This record gives sequence, C-alpha cells and structure tokens, in this order.
Amino acid sequence: MIKFEQVSKTYPGGQQALRQVSFHIKPGEMAFLTGHSGAGKSTLLKLISIMERPTVGRVLINGHDLKQITSRQIPYIRRDIGMIFQSHQLLMDKTVFDNVALPLIIEGYSRRETTKKVHAALDMVGLLNKAKNSPVTLSGGEQQRVGIARAVVNRPPLLLADEPTGNLDPKLSMEIIELFENFNQAGVSVFIATHDLGLIARMRYRTLTLKNGQMITDGLTEDWQEDSDEFTV
Amino acid sequence: MSLLFKDRQHGAEISQISTVQKVMMFFVDHLRQALASLGDLWRTPTASLLTIGVLGLSITLPTTLYVLVKNTEQVSAGWEQAAEISLFLRKDVSQGDIQQLIKRVNLWPEVEKLVHVPSEQALKEFKQLSGFGDALQYLDKNPLPDVLLVTPTEKFAGPQSAARLLDKLRNEREVETGKLDIEWLTRLHGVLTLARELVSLIALLLFLAVVLIIGNTIRLNILNKRSEIQVMKLVGATDAFIQRPFLYTGFWFGLAGGILAWFAVIIICWWMESSIAALTQLYQKDFTLTGLSGSELLVVLGLSVTLGLAGSIISVARHIREIEPT
Repeated sequence: MIKFEQVSKTYPGGQQALRQVSFHIKPGEMAFLTGHSGAGKSTLLKLISIMERPTVGRVLINGHDLKQITSRQIPYIRRDIGMIFQSHQLLMDKTVFDNVALPLIIEGYSRRETTKKVHAALDMVGLLNKAKNSPVTLSGGEQQRVGIARAVVNRPPLLLADEPTGNLDPKLSMEIIELFENFNQAGVSVFIATHDLGLIARMRYRTLTLKNGQMITDGLTEDWQEDSDEFTV
Repeated sequence: MSLLFKDRQHGAEISQISTVQKVMMFFVDHLRQALASLGDLWRTPTASLLTIGVLGLSITLPTTLYVLVKNTEQVSAGWEQAAEISLFLRKDVSQGDIQQLIKRVNLWPEVEKLVHVPSEQALKEFKQLSGFGDALQYLDKNPLPDVLLVTPTEKFAGPQSAARLLDKLRNEREVETGKLDIEWLTRLHGVLTLARELVSLIALLLFLAVVLIIGNTIRLNILNKRSEIQVMKLVGATDAFIQRPFLYTGFWFGLAGGILAWFAVIIICWWMESSIAALTQLYQKDFTLTGLSGSELLVVLGLSVTLGLAGSIISVARHIREIEPT
C-alpha cells in the first residue's frame, strides 16, 4: 500500500529530515511510526500526502510513483487518503456536521447522500448526537473523533494519523486506537505516527522507529521491545 | 475518478444519476455557492458597503461624463446637417451653361438641394443688408458672380465628406471657387473627440482602480480564510473549488456596484435637468437631457460585473495557490 524506496529528504537550509528510509506497508495492514520529536515522523507522513516531495528516492502508493503526480492531481490523491492530525484541523465556525461533510461536498455528492454518509461516520465515532454542535463546545477527545469521522467519511483505502492521541489521557487514547482497529478490520490500511510508547507497548502491531531521520527498527512491538535499549541510545 | 485505486468510485459516479440530473446538480451547486458568498457579504455589511460604494462611484463618474458628451453630440448633430456649400460661378459662363450645370449637379446622389442665386439678386440683397447701398450705386457693373447654394444629403453632411463634395464641385468647369464654412464644425468635432478620448482615459484609469480595489478586498478575504483553505486542501479540494466562492464575491461586488452606479447616474441626470432647462431656455431651444438607454444601462452593469470578476480572478489566481497546508 505504502512503499518507500531509499527516500531522503533535505529541507532548504540543509536540515536532513530523512535519510535513506525504505519500508513497505501492505494493503490492509495497521502499523505505527514512532521516534522522538524531530526524528522525521511528520516529514515521512507529509511525503505520503504530498505536502512535501522527497529529495532522493521513491514513494509509492498502491504501486503508483508519487513523483508522477502533478500538483494539479494532488487534490485527487488526498481524496484517497484519510488524514488525522494532532491539532484536529477542524473549522471552528462550522458545525460538526459541516466539518465531516466537507470531503463529500468537495467530491460533489448529493445532499441526501452526504447526510447519509455523514451520519454513518458520526455514528461510528459515537458523536451522532453532537452533529449540530460547534466543535468549540466539544472536549479534546470528541474533537479528535470529529477529525476521524471526517477522515473516514468517504471511505478511503488508506488512513494516516499524525499524533492522534497527542493531547489525550490513556483511556481516551485507547478508545481512539480501538476506532482505528475497527477501520483496519474493515480492510483499511492504517498508518499512525505517535511518540506515545506506552500506547504501542500494549499492542501487537508492526512498529517502525525513526531516529535522526533513519529507520532503526521495523518489526512487531515485541521484537522492538527486546531492542528497546537501541531506541534509548 | 481515483488516480491511485482503479476500482474505487467517487462522488457522482457512485450514485447512479442521469446526465440531466448531473447538469442540474452543477447549477444547483453553483447557485448554492453564489448564495453562500452573498451571505458572507451580508454578514460584514460595513466592509461590503464601502467596497460597493467605491466601485459604484468609480463607475458613476465616467458614465456621467459619457452622458454629457452624448448629449453635446446630439445637440451639435442638428448643426452639422445645416452644412451648406456656396459655389461662386465664373463670370464668363452663359446662363444656358449655368442651367446645364444645375441640371447636372442636381442628379448627384450627394446633393439634397440646390438653390441658384443670380448675380442681380445677390447684388440686391447685398445692398439691402450691407448698408453700402449708396456706395454701390457708383459701380458701373455688377461685381458679384452667380452663386449656387448646395445642401448635401445627410449622409454627406459630415465635415470630411462635405469637404470631398466641395472638391468635386470645384472641378466643374463653370465653377470659379467654392466655400464650405466647416472650420468651426471641424473645431467642434475636435473638441468633442478630445472630450470623448478624455472620458475614455478617465474611465480606463477608474476601471483599473476598481480592479485593484476588488483584487485587494478579495486578497484580504482569502488571507482571513487562510486556515479554512488549508483544511480544504488537506481533504482534497481543488484550487478551482476553493476559488469559486471568492469569484462569486467579486461577481456580487460588481453587480451591486453597477446597480449603485445606475441610481447615481439617474439621480445626477434628474438633478441637472432643471438647470439645463434653464440654460437652454435662454437660447430658446427645445432640449431635453437624454439619460442612459436600456442597452447602455446593461453595458454599465455588464462592465461593472466584468471588473468585479476580473479583480477577483487576478487575486484568486495569485493567492489561493500560495496557501499550502503545512
């Protein structure tokens, strides 16, 4: 589903965010990306959603080289990727319903279909009764779930999450991860960047670890725990 | 259509609707967005009214000047048609030749009317009108030639075509010389041409100002919605989709400004009508101020909308592309 081949990213000014990163996440897989702040997690996700372009190497989604994608085509790529952010990126002057409906309106769904799909997505994250509220009136966990509803409302085959549990307590974090597991079981590939090691430790998922822009481990959580001293070096 | 996943369907494809319904949806979508941007303007009434005011008045000024020039041209059009050519015939031609000439010239398509003033009659008139009557008694022979007064048809009454007609008449064997009093007409035409050019120039400058003002207003709108635009780009909105409401804002500004200009011009015409009537009464001339015709009103409105759209297109093209999610 996502394939990185010897990808390096150097920002203007010489800061090297990623060095020769290679990995492959298969369709229907759920994986975590971890590492300290500044290790290159966000940069890696930005290369997938084409918010940044790699300096060297290839990024492929479903076998398509993203280098071939022109800037005019980028919006269509993003419609296939559900993205979730630590800062939610919600429109605070619109209702929860309008926020979740945004991707559908952009794609030109009819009003009836939009309503149906938005209600289904809100139902999945357990916020159907808050549809008419403004996001400002919701708690942090609820806002995050609105963001998730928006990311999955048009059923993308790939979900990317950047620190989705960043501001949440462990119990709420677990609920969010369980939501992702549900989508994963429905066949969606899920790729989550987080520095919440405690969260990952409780689960058996493939975990990729970045350090100073280099991929240092790639494997199941248990394998990674055995080499955990490597992460702390 | 999905670029990455061939079997994934999107939007309108997934809901099986007919082409007619798709076209309907397209218009319904546009109408919805148009009304949404109208609602945005409504929510910031002061700022919107100021922009519309600047736009309306910028269009009012050249329109009023245009009405002025148009009316002046209408008044002078009446004078132009009075252009008359005086032909002085050679003294040595016989009356028979003169009659021949009159017959010939009368057949020309350029000639509306031809009056023959024989030399005796001319002398008599001159005596009466000049006050030199006694002095003229001493002349032993009539110094005045026979004169033909030629009135060109309407089509050939303009300064240039009348001058061409004069040249043609001068080439006739019997004609000594001819005169066309068009110098003042040429001057008036010059002044009017200048005035018209001045109006065009002022209009051009003001229109440019309007485009810049609208462009700047839309730029501020775009910057105000920066975070919203970023979010829309993140969830896959194309630039075309994002810029549509801003283009509609420009459209509404243009429309409202145009309507404001209409009313302003109508009020100005009404205001000036009484003072113009007072002036023309002094000249004992019947004159009514002509305002803008229906088609001219439409042109004003169309122009205003075009300017509004132009300003927003320029602004949108520059600024929407610049905003990228980070």
